[in-house]
Amino acid sequence: MKSLRNVNPKSFQEAARTLAADPKAMAVGGGSDLLQLLKEHTIAPDTLVNLKAIGGQDKIETHGNTLSIGALATLDSISHHAEVRQKYAVLAEAAGQVATPQIRNAGTIAGNVMQRPWCWYYRNNFPCYKNGGNTCFSITGENDFHAIFGGGPSFIVHPSDTAPALVALGARFKIQGANGTREVAAADFFQPPTVNPAKENSLAAGEVLTEITIPAPAKGTRSTYLKILDREAWTHAVVGVAAVLEMDGAMCKSARVVLSGVAPIPWRVPAVEQILAGQRITEDLLVRAGEKAVEGARPLAKNAYKVPLLRASVKQALRTASGVSA
Amino acid sequence: MNPLNSVGHREPRIDALLRVTGKAEYTADVKLPGMLYARLLRSPHPHARIKSIDISKAQALPGVRAILTKDNCDTVWSSGDSLGQRKLFNNPLRFTGEAVAAIAAVNRHVAEEAMSLIQVDYEVLPFVLDVDKAMEEGAPEIHPGGNLSPNNQRRREPQTYTRGNAAKGFTEADRVFESSFTSSHHNNAQLELRTSLAYWEGSKLTVYASTQGIVNCQRDIAKDLKLQEADVRVICHYMGGGFGNKNQSHDFDLFAALLAKEAKAPVKVEFTRKEDFVAVHGRWSSKQQYKIGVKNDGTLTAIQMVAKTGSGAYRKSSCDLSGTEIYQVPNLETSTTPIYTNTAVAANYRAPAYPQGVFGIESAIDDVAYALKIDPLEFRLKNMTRKFRDQTPYTSFGLEDCLRKGADSFGWKQRWKPVAGSGAGPLKRGAGMAMGMFGSALGRSSAVAKVDAKGNYSIHVGVTDCGTAAKTTMGLIAAEELGVPLNKVNVVWGDTDTCPYSVGESGSRTTVQTGDAVIQAVKDLKKKISEQGMPKGTDEVMVMVTTNPAQIQGASRQSFVAHFAEVEVNVETGNVKVTKFTAAHDSGRVVNPLTAESQVQGGSIQGIGMALHEELRYDQRSGQPLNAGYYGARIMTHMDAPQVDVLWVETEDPYGPFGAKTLGEPTIIPTVAAVANAIYNAIGVRMHDLPMTRERVLAALQGVKA
Repeated sequence: MKSLRNVNPKSFQEAARTLAADPKAMAVGGGSDLLQLLKEHTIAPDTLVNLKAIGGQDKIETHGNTLSIGALATLDSISHHAEVRQKYAVLAEAAGQVATPQIRNAGTIAGNVMQRPWCWYYRNNFPCYKNGGNTCFSITGENDFHAIFGGGPSFIVHPSDTAPALVALGARFKIQGANGTREVAAADFFQPPTVNPAKENSLAAGEVLTEITIPAPAKGTRSTYLKILDREAWTHAVVGVAAVLEMDGAMCKSARVVLSGVAPIPWRVPAVEQILAGQRITEDLLVRAGEKAVEGARPLAKNAYKVPLLRASVKQALRTASGVSA
Repeated sequence: MNPLNSVGHREPRIDALLRVTGKAEYTADVKLPGMLYARLLRSPHPHARIKSIDISKAQALPGVRAILTKDNCDTVWSSGDSLGQRKLFNNPLRFTGEAVAAIAAVNRHVAEEAMSLIQVDYEVLPFVLDVDKAMEEGAPEIHPGGNLSPNNQRRREPQTYTRGNAAKGFTEADRVFESSFTSSHHNNAQLELRTSLAYWEGSKLTVYASTQGIVNCQRDIAKDLKLQEADVRVICHYMGGGFGNKNQSHDFDLFAALLAKEAKAPVKVEFTRKEDFVAVHGRWSSKQQYKIGVKNDGTLTAIQMVAKTGSGAYRKSSCDLSGTEIYQVPNLETSTTPIYTNTAVAANYRAPAYPQGVFGIESAIDDVAYALKIDPLEFRLKNMTRKFRDQTPYTSFGLEDCLRKGADSFGWKQRWKPVAGSGAGPLKRGAGMAMGMFGSALGRSSAVAKVDAKGNYSIHVGVTDCGTAAKTTMGLIAAEELGVPLNKVNVVWGDTDTCPYSVGESGSRTTVQTGDAVIQAVKDLKKKISEQGMPKGTDEVMVMVTTNPAQIQGASRQSFVAHFAEVEVNVETGNVKVTKFTAAHDSGRVVNPLTAESQVQGGSIQGIGMALHEELRYDQRSGQPLNAGYYGARIMTHMDAPQVDVLWVETEDPYGPFGAKTLGEPTIIPTVAAVANAIYNAIGVRMHDLPMTRERVLAALQGVKA
């Protein structure tokens, strides 16, 4: 590992300015992903801007009707936070299923939503789009874990568990730039590879994600995050389903369903949401929702298994979220 | 069996407290004044010729003390292949990850920076990853003479075994079944990384190794560096696992010694986890075809197996397949062809030839039993071996009890479904079982026993204890023979300067072979005391013995095992969960039930991981490994590990020690097959390829192409 300069900013603005001034500087929060990328020579920054030095940016608080999560709140603290568990179960469950206890203790919410892909071509430093090249090796390569929706030109799957939960909850991201702040809906923060195949989101150079806010859920909202792993712990989602349902008894008034493990961004499935809205949850409806979820899937040579897996997972997640034993 | 005083009682490891409190000093923990750190530059290509290496920039980097490449080091690493020809630095390079340069520097960062400054001009060569393609006309030749890898007699031929006449056996059969199976290369994945620390005092070399055999390591280092064995000291006090790939010396020991000589300072070589997965070795892959002839009543008439195995870029071990030996069958023909490919080297991993071979034969046999509508347990009871190769009686035989008592304990009758795949789903349960055996050879080992004037006993044994609790086992055997409690015996281990020859902790031989030497040493010590009396003052009475029992004539000594697995398969998600696991073992008398149970649990869990998850995946177009490491290989976590119920079928083997036979390796032999057969029973679809991943289970169930 090469030598690095460490900068301890006093504010997010100072951090943003340092990053804006030095294109070879990178922000580091928990560092669990960044250090791995450094050690594997996937990235080679000259300077690390240590966001933890700012202090106090790991709070989880309620302001009026809005939940505010500091960018540096750890995944562990989110997964154990009483109010998050009660009102935003999908987020607590997603955060609690990331990686391992060690990583959840170090890893932050901002780091999790901005984690780089776990495509094995990217992580093994193949000269792919993500590493500054102009090809995606998975298309004709080993693509068991790659996208079945929204692929092209890169076919990575977005690696975050919390990102689909935040999109499903209608979260907003606050972003500090060198010369000001902006706010963006979580759904718009993530960008498909058609925009820029080297990146997964709209964070510009010299910008830092500072805070995530989530509106209070509507009355009767129930939610869950279902994560399919290839062992009981410590894999990324082979398929994941973030389901947020506004329920009235067995009636689903409205739904937000966002998938992980299947697309280069958290993948919202409006067709599923539409057939759930205003309907009683029945086994038949769940089956149809599962079918809807896989409509338009375009598997690669080795990931067709994700289609039946997704169909079953959506059904199961909706059953759990609704609380209806259909 | 008559109960004994020390042997057969549950005893915690004598070093348990030191290990769990972090006080045990493993090889990686050892630091010496002035010690340098070494890193390896490795081939980025699966097959390439080095045209030139320029180390001048790296040499000029402040803090770099020594660099070895093929240009200044032509040392042979004789245990690197079975021909004794592999060098530390080879040209051409034959797999991604093969060593190109070794660098020692004042710290790790400088060593890694120096790596990036070495300029290598490669001529990239065509490569081949698949054993079938490697045997095609015009395939890239990985070693001169072709890709059928020669055995240690330098013959390029399949390994074969024949008894009777299979063709005749098939004509006598009512039905003949054919099936094929594959298994993948996967890594030993022991917790402790590769590390070696070497320093010289004049012409005497000391190596802190991470080794399963200090004496083998000493012997091999001396041979390769052309030293007297007495001038090489190997120390390994605490060892963090190897599962077969830390026996002998390894290239890291030789790199450390040579760099230390060049730099005139102690040098520690450390491999990363990724290097551990690609640059050392794992279990060989296989492609197996079976033909089985059987009478309608279930009597086997013939078995034929034809297989290819993948040795990787060098042939380091037998690359054979075992499994068919567990059946009584008059006509048996097996043929295994080991083949070079431009992939990571394959060699010994816990019962090297067994779990993949047993997966093949036990899956094939299971299909036969179902086709004949015979309970697979009954089929095995009917056809199991009674004599070694149908000819030689066993010294002790617990296989039938492993099957019967194991089945009872597991609840086979309740858990096994006569109609495979029956049940509503989506969660389907099923039960499967499989069996195996493993030789428990006698052989040479040494031990020193002594007593001081205060009556303190010491036993010196050349073991390192690779996780088996071998030093506790040796202490228990000594205590039993001495008639004193374990805490009266001081066990001295892990240092060639203070310990005599031991066989090395491979082949599951330590308990039997070194244990035998310990018994004899204690007997001799007691005799000497009876003749001379106890020592006085600062004197000690000491004996050293070397036992080398003659191989048993007219009988075969084997450990036996049957494993029973219940799985729950989610037919919608392809998720497989092992919900119950029972392991019945005949390893003779069990010396220490506590640590022996750990062995069985560890081997079984490792086998479940092999069954469901583990394989080293390559990008087919570039020959690059893609998932090297714990994350990518999906090694079992604690949360994945089911409870493993251990059932001892204790036979009292006449050759001892105290009736004990081999245990460490049998623990993984039938595990994979038992899980595979349980999946079949649950879903009614046969899995033919390892690992049996979610993708493959779903593909099998839904006709989706995996």
